[in-house]
Amino acid sequence: MTAVTGPAHPVTGLDEVVHQRARLGILTIAHEGRRVEFGYLRTQLELTAGNLSKYLSVLEAAGLIAVEKGYEGRRGRTWITLTAAGTAALADEIGRLRQLVARVETAGA
Amino acid sequence: MATESIPTGGDPRRLLADVRALAHRVRLDQRVTWAALLVLGAATLAGIPFDWFGMRVSCMPDGSCEFARRGMLYYWPWALPLAYAIIAFCYVRAARARGLGARVWPYVITGFATSVVFPAGWAAVALYFSSHPYPDPPLPYWLFLLDRLVMPWGMIGVALLVLAWLERNVALFLFTVGYLAFVLFVVPMNNGWDSPHWGLRVGMALPQLISGTVLLLGALSFAAARRRHG
Repeated sequence: MTAVTGPAHPVTGLDEVVHQRARLGILTIAHEGRRVEFGYLRTQLELTAGNLSKYLSVLEAAGLIAVEKGYEGRRGRTWITLTAAGTAALADEIGRLRQLVARVETAGA
Repeated sequence: MATESIPTGGDPRRLLADVRALAHRVRLDQRVTWAALLVLGAATLAGIPFDWFGMRVSCMPDGSCEFARRGMLYYWPWALPLAYAIIAFCYVRAARARGLGARVWPYVITGFATSVVFPAGWAAVALYFSSHPYPDPPLPYWLFLLDRLVMPWGMIGVALLVLAWLERNVALFLFTVGYLAFVLFVVPMNNGWDSPHWGLRVGMALPQLISGTVLLLGALSFAAARRRHG
């Protein structure tokens, strides 16, 4: 039996909650915008309200975002902010994606 | 046989490109560059009467004159913090209206810090020359540049550089580099234009008029660019 040593493949550390296009988009926008409104996310990610709510629920359950509901005048507003865990998860995901791209490029060279 | 598996979430290159594109979009939506330039241009123009009427000029029989720009000390120490507070308010309000937060604290802190530089520099120079003789002219060029840099118009340029960095705004960075080069090397912001055709006050007001106009023209250009790109 042969033991394989060396650095782990970047794919092995990918977080399934974050490693999904729409959820990664939500985290990116929330990180860059400091806080983001539900309507802005829906427009930028071109998602239906139902789909976006599902993605938000997954991220909130994982402790990566905080959801705050309130009113502005008579209009209901939902604001999303990134938690510290969310910031770390986003940085980790981007780091792993970069590693993957570097690996693929090195292998292809 | 392939040795690299592609993750289930999609092509990593495409995901990274999406992340970059979304971050860029958010930054664009947070920007109100034209408002910052408009406020700073207006503050520069509004400072001219303070400098004009607050300037103490005493001329000698030989025709040489000494001046003290006291009006600037009455105006800029409160005008710059007020301008930065208004700009921060505009940024927060505009971002909120678009459904975003705004990253203004680094800019506000820089704004307030640069506001302190001018009165602190003035006090340090006044304190120094109260017990030391004035050096014989010409002054070293670096001292001349430093004098221009610590003046409010130079500090406005420094604050704009920080804003350009915060916004990752290349256009604002290029504009600010041009503006700083203009107020440091081209226009005599600290000692005014010396001309027999006009007095000392006009010679001091003209550089301020020009730098204020440059900022306002910048505001117009950025507003037009924003309108064009939607």
